[in-house]
Amino acid sequence: MSNVAFEKPVEDSVPKINDEVAVGEDLVFQRRWWKFESVMWSLIAILLLLNFLGVFGRGPAAHASLQNDALSIKYERVERFGTPAIFHVLFAPDVMSKGKVELFVSQSVVDELGAQRVIPAPLESAVGAGGITYTFAAGQAPGSVEFALQPARAGIYHFTVGIPGSAPLSGRIIVVP
Amino acid sequence: MAASVRAILFYLFLVFVVRIVGRRPGKQITPFEFVLVFFMGGLALTAMVGDDASLTNAFIQIMTIAFIHFLIAIGRSRSSRLAVLLDGTPLVLLENSKWRSDTLSKMRIQDDDVMAQARDQGVTTLDKIEIAILERNGQISIIEGEQ
Repeated sequence: MSNVAFEKPVEDSVPKINDEVAVGEDLVFQRRWWKFESVMWSLIAILLLLNFLGVFGRGPAAHASLQNDALSIKYERVERFGTPAIFHVLFAPDVMSKGKVELFVSQSVVDELGAQRVIPAPLESAVGAGGITYTFAAGQAPGSVEFALQPARAGIYHFTVGIPGSAPLSGRIIVVP
Repeated sequence: MAASVRAILFYLFLVFVVRIVGRRPGKQITPFEFVLVFFMGGLALTAMVGDDASLTNAFIQIMTIAFIHFLIAIGRSRSSRLAVLLDGTPLVLLENSKWRSDTLSKMRIQDDDVMAQARDQGVTTLDKIEIAILERNGQISIIEGEQ
């Protein structure tokens, strides 16, 4: 014989009525859950639609551009953590006439937005004024430079890009997790 | 730390999504649902691992998931409210030869599914069924009536 003490009587948490099958159905909860489910499906459909539009990056709504007399830039206003993106800078013909062109980018482009490489490689780069000034060899217009970005952290980051001596362009990039 | 947080978030997210998707991925898994479960797991893997493909990361994430699962299992055994929230409630699908059509349609279950389970238990016709219940684990229980 076992010496284990049995102290708790066997009970059924589901009430027994007229000897019917004890199911324990909770239709009040289930109806509430079905309502919640239908709300969640609607929410999922909206999120997917927004995603297709590019609200969470990699779609038409994420594309952005800025322009002034010296340059124009094309970038993604919403980027994704750890995902490659291109930051495109197009120079105006005027700034390319001297055989070389200088471009200032704020430190956030390198740090938070994770610039992996600059295409083409600059002739030289100089740090200062809260960023980096790159010098590129320049031929005939049009000419452009690309920064291959790969953000290392989610967040909202501000950047500034400009040709020294002219008004800079500033923008904001949201990096989603 | 970030790896553990990612693992916890994805675990909770998958628990939530599977709960929303429905009960059938539990017991009566069909090839259709088989694809869903494995595909979701595979997709979660890429984001969970990130750029850290080390053994340490894998060990930490597996231990994190095991621990969170353990905590949730304790919570579920102590709180009937949490149990109902996580597992749902048994639902009557057929009673006294009448279908609960609203329950069937909302649970995305067909009468054929109930009949398949009935045949499995040797019940040949619907009128021999006293009650059919969709259990919390996704199994359909068939109880025969007295002849």
